[in-house]
Amino acid sequence: MNLLAVSINHHTAPIELREALYLGSEDIKNLVDDAKGKLFSEGLVLSTCNRTEFYGIPVNKNISYFDLQNFIIERKHSHNISPEHFQCFLSREAVKHLFKVITGIDSLLIGDNQIFKQVKDSFIISEKMEFAGFLMKRVFDSATIVGKRSITETEISEGAVTVSYAAVQLIEKIFSALHKKSALVIGTGETGEIAAKHLKDRGIGTLAITNRTIEKAEALAKTLNSKIVPFANFKKHLHEYDIVISATSAPGLILTKEDIEVLIKKRNYESLVLMDIALPRDIDPESKNIEYVFYHDIDSLNIIVEQNLSKRKAEIPKVQKIIEEELDNFFHWYNSLQAAPTIKNLRDYFEAIRTEEIEKNKNKFSKEDQEKLEIVSKRIINKILHHPTIELRKSAESGESTPESATRLGILRELFGIDNHKPDEEKK
Amino acid sequence: MLNLIDFLNILLPFLYLITFVMYSYDFMKGKKQLANSKRLFLFITLFFHSFYIVIRTIHFNHPPITNVFEIFTILAFAVSFSYFILELVTDIRGTGPFIIIISILFQVISSLFIEHVVVVKEVLKSNLLGTHVFSALLGYSGITISAVYGLLYLILYKEIKLNQFGLVFNRLPSLEVLEKLSFYSAIIGFTLLTIAIVIGVIWLPKAFPDFSYADPKLIGTSIVWLLYGFGILTKLLGKWRGKKVIILSIVGFVIAILSTMLTNFLSLSFHSFY
Repeated sequence: MNLLAVSINHHTAPIELREALYLGSEDIKNLVDDAKGKLFSEGLVLSTCNRTEFYGIPVNKNISYFDLQNFIIERKHSHNISPEHFQCFLSREAVKHLFKVITGIDSLLIGDNQIFKQVKDSFIISEKMEFAGFLMKRVFDSATIVGKRSITETEISEGAVTVSYAAVQLIEKIFSALHKKSALVIGTGETGEIAAKHLKDRGIGTLAITNRTIEKAEALAKTLNSKIVPFANFKKHLHEYDIVISATSAPGLILTKEDIEVLIKKRNYESLVLMDIALPRDIDPESKNIEYVFYHDIDSLNIIVEQNLSKRKAEIPKVQKIIEEELDNFFHWYNSLQAAPTIKNLRDYFEAIRTEEIEKNKNKFSKEDQEKLEIVSKRIINKILHHPTIELRKSAESGESTPESATRLGILRELFGIDNHKPDEEKK
Repeated sequence: MLNLIDFLNILLPFLYLITFVMYSYDFMKGKKQLANSKRLFLFITLFFHSFYIVIRTIHFNHPPITNVFEIFTILAFAVSFSYFILELVTDIRGTGPFIIIISILFQVISSLFIEHVVVVKEVLKSNLLGTHVFSALLGYSGITISAVYGLLYLILYKEIKLNQFGLVFNRLPSLEVLEKLSFYSAIIGFTLLTIAIVIGVIWLPKAFPDFSYADPKLIGTSIVWLLYGFGILTKLLGKWRGKKVIILSIVGFVIAILSTMLTNFLSLSFHSFY
């Protein structure tokens, strides 16, 4: 199989270069427009914040991944990018790389399952642009199976691996029904925003946002359909919330231990969760010594993150096993697209039908006629298969499998349902 | 039938042990491979145990409440049965090992020392006494389960406070759930103890000529009852919550155990039959 793939990712290039090569969906469409038919007959372009990758079946055998690299570099006009920033893959290795990417074991955040959707979205673009042909569709189908199997059969995507999500995981170990709880997020920076989104996703009952710049709080509150608490008097309302997540960029403490002591009394000692995910910290860490107050900062949340990352790393061998199994399945299918096995399978298929029908009906004929029936039916089958066999043999004699011949063979196998034949059955 | 009783007597500790191993395996591995089979096995164990109690009652012509070791087999059954009901109602399946181990303890002691008591005091054959003892034992199993969940709550509370995110953190349900499980078991235990006390106070003076309100077991149970009543009331009124109620439940359990041991083994009153 002559599938080519190049990838620039967090293993090979610093963030500035990855950013320079990032392709939005419009960029991808333009790239596909330029590549389709000239360089590649079919392919897939994937671009996320950590990787940009191009998979393609070249239109002729003179095209190598160096052409592909140059094609991308020229398009992005970035002088700092050179060939050593690329990983290059061919055939089985290219398919294997896509399988590794879709399972998240190649991700910066191991087991990150967002990549699954990103690969799917890229494939949809290829399909819309008529850049996903017979082979790429099969590659994508196999990649989807690998992705789904790794999620259901392993724990590669289990547990929180970001501080914001670890905070939510910890909150769920304290409170059981988040839909009955209320939370206040202080600060609308990236961390605060992600934490607020996680809480919303987990079905928090009431969500409120406060921020020094009210406009930012309003913008986030609008997206998340949550309340806004003015920053100037948020302390007055603090006792109304079971969960407080603080993620401001304030240089000092915004909540002291005394504030928290007053707060817990006001709450009649009902459990209070304080997640301080700011650096420097927003809440006095001594608050953790107050009964019914569950105070956690970035360091303690990082313990959970590290534990979950170790667990995910331990799952990598299981995912690799799935990848190898599905690679074997894929290449078993692909190799069946070679001409010789297809001729044999096709003839076996017709012969099986002939034998079955003869067996069923031979009693309706006399002994003499039975022999004639055998000869005539064989002759009919041979005549039917004569032209297809000649055409398929031409491919076999040329000794190479072009995408066109593979597509032709694939359609033939699909039409006659030959792929349903098991390998051991074929041997028999 | 005696052979069958003896066979079940030996079989029961093993059944509880296998159930315990299944629950522990799921707890340690954190997978839910045995989620349904462990519940089914617990059901089978309880089925055999109830069958054992029934044939024992029929064969010896009295409910198995006439000595400590008969009481222990009832306790083993009551604890696991209460847990089984709680698991069915809440569908929280991860805490089984901590409860079933109590049943193993009671059943092993019972199986080792239980005897074939044929002749018992006439008063111990009463059905009303049977109801009194059964409700008391179920009540005690309720507060035992409440205490176990309370203990798990305290362990998890401490782990979360100290940032120790180990096995307990990963496997146990949330603090709020543990608090609820402990509270609901306490309510069930309290209700059944109330029934036992009411029957006892009405019927015992008639059955025993030497009945006394100063009986240590009666006083001990009353203290436990008052303690749980107080805890449940303050919790329902919203005055106390969380750790405070949990500690009260554990204290109640310790007092219940101590008073039972003291009154059964040390004092001699009408209430000590064995």
